[in-house]
Amino acid sequence: MKPKQSQINRWPESDLIRRLCHALDIASLTIEHLAPAGYTDPHNPAASVRPEKPIAETAVLLYAAMAAAHHPEVDARLHRVARQLAPHARSAQLQLGLALNPGLALDYSLAHIVLGRLGYPDPAFDALLTQCRAAQASAGRERLPHRVLEQQWIESITGLSQTSAPILRHIQRRDIERTARLSILNRPMDVLSATDDDLYAFTHALMYVTGFELSSVALPRTRVVLLAEAEAALAHCLDAQDYDLAGELLLSWPLTGRSWSPTAAFAFRVLAEVEDQAGFLPTPATRISELDARTGASRKQYLLATAYHTAYVMGLVCAAALQPGCAPPTTVSTRCATLGSAAQLLPLLDDCRPIPHWLESFRRLDPLEADALAPLLFNIALHRHAAQHDFAALHQLLRLGHTLHLTDIPAASQAAELLERMTLYANTLHPEAQPQEGTQPTPGPSHPDILHSALLNTTASTQFPTLP
Amino acid sequence: MSNSDLHKQIVKKVLETKAVDFNALGKVVSELGPALSLADDDGINFCATMRFFIRINRIETPGFPVERLGDLNVAAREFQE
Repeated sequence: MKPKQSQINRWPESDLIRRLCHALDIASLTIEHLAPAGYTDPHNPAASVRPEKPIAETAVLLYAAMAAAHHPEVDARLHRVARQLAPHARSAQLQLGLALNPGLALDYSLAHIVLGRLGYPDPAFDALLTQCRAAQASAGRERLPHRVLEQQWIESITGLSQTSAPILRHIQRRDIERTARLSILNRPMDVLSATDDDLYAFTHALMYVTGFELSSVALPRTRVVLLAEAEAALAHCLDAQDYDLAGELLLSWPLTGRSWSPTAAFAFRVLAEVEDQAGFLPTPATRISELDARTGASRKQYLLATAYHTAYVMGLVCAAALQPGCAPPTTVSTRCATLGSAAQLLPLLDDCRPIPHWLESFRRLDPLEADALAPLLFNIALHRHAAQHDFAALHQLLRLGHTLHLTDIPAASQAAELLERMTLYANTLHPEAQPQEGTQPTPGPSHPDILHSALLNTTASTQFPTLP
Repeated sequence: MSNSDLHKQIVKKVLETKAVDFNALGKVVSELGPALSLADDDGINFCATMRFFIRINRIETPGFPVERLGDLNVAAREFQE
């Protein structure tokens, strides 16, 4: 019987508040040190940050944190950061950019708009913004669907929109849902080969469609389908220790509902543990050798420039989790655990050096919790084998996954399709190796159609090509 | 600094290194130009006044792992100061 939501032990609210406050404290430092002139790294241009970026991203964090403003410690920090942000959000340089580029009006104005929502208006800036939005060129930029959604979300939170008649807000909502149907939210993600840009499109589309809160918005596909893809991507990001994307993907759960899958609950725990050990949620961009080579203000600027964004992501996750009933469970649900499944999958994954953080956490679980996370292990293994182009191993893994009843996930069916394509390709290279008539392997019971076809056509004699 | 200012700075630096042999480029264009300009395949961007004939792209993070968490924690004290 499914446990009632009230019976699930939820992550302590006080800890979520603590983490959100930590993100806001980092925001305060970020505005102080990066908003005036950004950060230019003479030795590592990739670490350089233009000031517009932290200004806009701080505004997003403030907006998301507003939902938790009824907690006094959050409210105090919100207003402190808002007051710090205001002069930078409306700087002369930014206003010049706005005047010169009406097609980027909402991009330049996001921080100003959020500040207005927080009770820090600026009528002069509003006048310039209104002029820009009335310009012929105001819609003149070509944008990808998730960037259109961003524009529509910003539009929806402007002061004008808030005072609009309900019918206009309804039309706005309908426009957002229509644009969402053009985005990656409305078609299967390539869970095995998605680039960072693809995943950012997914995570950002979801943020803008939901407006950073659990709402009644009609998603283009069901929550179950979207979360299955988010989980596949989350597994890979955990394995890659990409906590920026992992955090953004975790938002998929509290922004669309109150239940968390075992994988998502475990992933939140991993991110929390890593944040506690490092003092912030880290990225590979923060290098100790670079920190040690700097002192004083330069060192602090480098640290903030490389760390603030992911720290903000953790803040967003905690703000979303602070919505009533949306906190992640403290323990991994074992309701769907298949006994012994983890023990069969783990040997395929524990040869990584250094040991990824998720694996360190995983080894501390009790056996039943570990078994409940077999889908996570299976997703990671599928991604690793696909990325390594180890098609023979992928084939074996799918067979194992089928016996463990794990293959009802996007990564498995996409891996099966990949095998079918590679088998066709391999057969064109080695036609003599094609299976002879009457020697087909006997299919197992109850295969999903895609998996059945792939395993049927792929045999031990299939000579998969060796790819780089 | 705007993108166009940055672009100009980069181009200026590249030109100062004399890494681009414009004479050689011109020679190639003059040798191949007549034939290419008559080619049916419009996938070849043959244009002697092409603006972006050098593109410098930022390479994505090359896959360094996250640093040791304990070491990062020491650095994180900066956030408290």
